[in-house]
Amino acid sequence: MSERDFLAAVKNNQGIIYKLVGLYAADTEEKKDLYQEVLLQAWKSWPSFRGDAKFSTWLYRICLNTILTQQRKQKKINYQERLDDISPTIESTAILKEDSLRLQQAIRRLAETDRAIISSHLDGYNNGEIAEMMGIGLNHVAVKLHRIKQQITTILK
Amino acid sequence: MSLEKQWQHINEQEDEDLSALMNNPQLKKLTSHQPLQKIKNNLLINMAWGIGIAVCYVLILFFFPYWQVRLCIGVVLLFTLWAISTAYTQYKSIQPTVSSQNSLLAEMKRHHASMILWMKTQERVALFIYPFSTAGGFMLGGAIGSGRSVDYFMSKPVVQIALVISIAILVPLAYWFAKWLFNKSFGKHLKTLGENIQELSSDEV
Repeated sequence: MSERDFLAAVKNNQGIIYKLVGLYAADTEEKKDLYQEVLLQAWKSWPSFRGDAKFSTWLYRICLNTILTQQRKQKKINYQERLDDISPTIESTAILKEDSLRLQQAIRRLAETDRAIISSHLDGYNNGEIAEMMGIGLNHVAVKLHRIKQQITTILK
Repeated sequence: MSLEKQWQHINEQEDEDLSALMNNPQLKKLTSHQPLQKIKNNLLINMAWGIGIAVCYVLILFFFPYWQVRLCIGVVLLFTLWAISTAYTQYKSIQPTVSSQNSLLAEMKRHHASMILWMKTQERVALFIYPFSTAGGFMLGGAIGSGRSVDYFMSKPVVQIALVISIAILVPLAYWFAKWLFNKSFGKHLKTLGENIQELSSDEV
């Protein structure tokens, strides 16, 4: 597959990069750096993509593995998407947007590995897939998810 | 509204920075800032310096006919060659590209282990090479500075004590400096990696 095909495939799945980087980048500068690093690592790993998994799952793993092994700033996340950037025309969209941002803010307050676990859960991966992605046991995933959900509920209250 | 639905909504949003990167990526021009890539670059620089320094040692061995200096420099030369070969082995073994086959835990452990190995190597180099290079440099500098032979220069007790003090001060200092430099460059990252590994590995049920 050519560079163009690769980019087209990544573009179709760029929501993964956007969401995951948004959970870890400390500021907009770091966000740009992480976008670049994920894209580069995906491009370098591209020859190892055998097609026996979905492209989105492959990109998800690359994304998580890159972000969590990358040297990041040791400060609290201090940026957030602003609601007024979007000017929604429909009220329900605005509410949905606000709820999404609140959820993102809540997840950012979790421990780094918990963010990875809950994001993959919310993206529809089952416990077995999450266990494989994280490299931990199935029961451990279930226990962690239970705890994380409790934490998020507390934060969102 | 369910958490899943709220989360999925983020998928539908666009980010200007990401879109800009996608539209004009120039993949071949992008450079990696992965810590392992930095270490790999450092190893390459270390090897280049090591070779340059080894050549200087060989020149000293040829041009300075003091057996004490030759002995120290000879030992340092051997250690330098060992350090270069170790750096080369490590350079070849470090795989800076993130693996999609490894789990997150395995990948974090791999990065952590590679960085620790590099740190230990730097510390070992500091411990083994500096005592001999300090002694060699001290005797060579003293002989050239005084215009006498090393035997004569080193025959004075005060000079012998000064040599011992120099080694006693410089070696721990070099060791500490190597450690400090590593911590400054990668200490916090290593700590975070360690904590994340611990978080994923602990509480196994």
